[in-house]
Amino acid sequence: MPKEKRFFREGGRRVVKAFAKFHPVTLFAYFAVILLFSMFIRNPVTVCLSLLGGAAFCSTLTNKREKLDDIKFYIPLTVLIAITNPLISHNGKTPLFFLNGNAFTLESIYYGVFIALMIIAVRMWSKSYSRIVTSDKFLYLFGRFAPKTALILSVALRYVPMMKAQAKKIKDAQKTLGLYSKGSYADNVVSTVKVYSALIGWSLENAVETGKNMKARGWGHGKRTSFSSFRFRAADAVVLVLLAVFSAAMLISLRTGRLAFSFYPEPTALPADPVSVFAYVCFALLSFIPFFIESEENIRWNCLRSKT
Amino acid sequence: MNKKIISYLIVFLGIPAVVLLGNTVFSGVKYVWFMIAVSVLSTVPFVISFEKKEHSVTYLLLIAALTALSVMGRLIFVAVPAFKPVTAMVVITAVYFGPEAGFLTGAFSALLSNFYFGQGPWTAFQMAAWGLIGFVIGLMRNRLKQSRALLCVAGAVSGVVYSLVMDVWDAIFADGTVLWSRYVSFLATSAPFTVIYAVSTLVFLLLLEKPIGKKLQRIKDKYGI
Repeated sequence: MPKEKRFFREGGRRVVKAFAKFHPVTLFAYFAVILLFSMFIRNPVTVCLSLLGGAAFCSTLTNKREKLDDIKFYIPLTVLIAITNPLISHNGKTPLFFLNGNAFTLESIYYGVFIALMIIAVRMWSKSYSRIVTSDKFLYLFGRFAPKTALILSVALRYVPMMKAQAKKIKDAQKTLGLYSKGSYADNVVSTVKVYSALIGWSLENAVETGKNMKARGWGHGKRTSFSSFRFRAADAVVLVLLAVFSAAMLISLRTGRLAFSFYPEPTALPADPVSVFAYVCFALLSFIPFFIESEENIRWNCLRSKT
Repeated sequence: MNKKIISYLIVFLGIPAVVLLGNTVFSGVKYVWFMIAVSVLSTVPFVISFEKKEHSVTYLLLIAALTALSVMGRLIFVAVPAFKPVTAMVVITAVYFGPEAGFLTGAFSALLSNFYFGQGPWTAFQMAAWGLIGFVIGLMRNRLKQSRALLCVAGAVSGVVYSLVMDVWDAIFADGTVLWSRYVSFLATSAPFTVIYAVSTLVFLLLLEKPIGKKLQRIKDKYGI
């Protein structure tokens, strides 16, 4: 049984993610669309909305320490990009001061902050994607089009934990023999390379054995089948329809230039006519879909949980 | 037949669609769009031709093991910062198994290791970068097999190329357009890593090339491949 389908509690918190239960097609389409829009619409409002939606959803996936690590990483990153951007681009009409004859402009700082927010938004969504669209879902999606590729990837995915265990065995054996125990940098490199080298021999032999085995059992004769337990539910259809409607609205407003914004030479006024506002609302709803789904499940979970 | 249709679809519909979308909808940031689309479209033909050909299951399993090994390399050397043997593994695979295996191991290593280190829009670009390194090295394999020095140079250059190419991604991704000063600043900040990366690829090739060659020969003898 896949891990996310097992219901268990972790300090009263829900571990199973409601969004992860959607069909892989729905999930992949959703993440592809939201990532494309976050990267390609260079408008401060949509980027902030995407960041908020992404951060809200990501916060339901991470524990306290990961959240703290993220904050500790992204706030300095924003400051760093905001400060260094004026050193790289000297566009803009409001010079704050001059450095080696180059203007250090206010607009460049704004643009630096904007770049940082865009990068953080994309990273938040990517992190959520990695947690939700796990390798089994990815293989289910693309395995049908490329069966050999799918075979290689799924075998390799199984090999990684197996090799990890084997690497530990090899390392322990070397330690017991008293090799490379000084702990200097060079020692570390050489000993790890030795472990790695032994691992390579073991793995290649293992792969050939498995191949011979599969051939002996008749691999490649007849049609192959594959097992999966993903179901396309009504909720999937709803999310896909919402996705299509919102993206159509966004594409139309993009095409007609309703979301155009530029930072140089000075920030243009934010587009605020009814059509742009409509596009913003659509995008806000779009980027909060996963968070809404998680929140709804949270409420239900807390109502039904036994209060002992 | 089915796969032929897919490859025609890519050429006659996929590429024009990419260009059209880039010039109309995403015109402000078309470079990012083109970068992602081109890297995806450049991996697809390799995968299609690989799917079409006949392969023994042993070959498939060996590619899987080599891919898993280069992912393991990224995991196992966590203790030694900036020492990552992925490029070295891709180079060795390409030299011993040819351009196709080189491309596949490179591209799959990027895809697979990002299941551990985080997927993102950069995955497609990484796949194309490592895949093409494997492909090019594979094409030169007859020359590289003869001279160990040449192989080490090629390995170090691949390490540098990978680093430079990924900086292109970072620079274009940040601005949505080509800004040379941004690229140069990224090059400058990543220079120490680029150097360590090239040196580590060199060290790995020196340390691993011979043992792996011996191991492959042993397996060939033992199992009569």
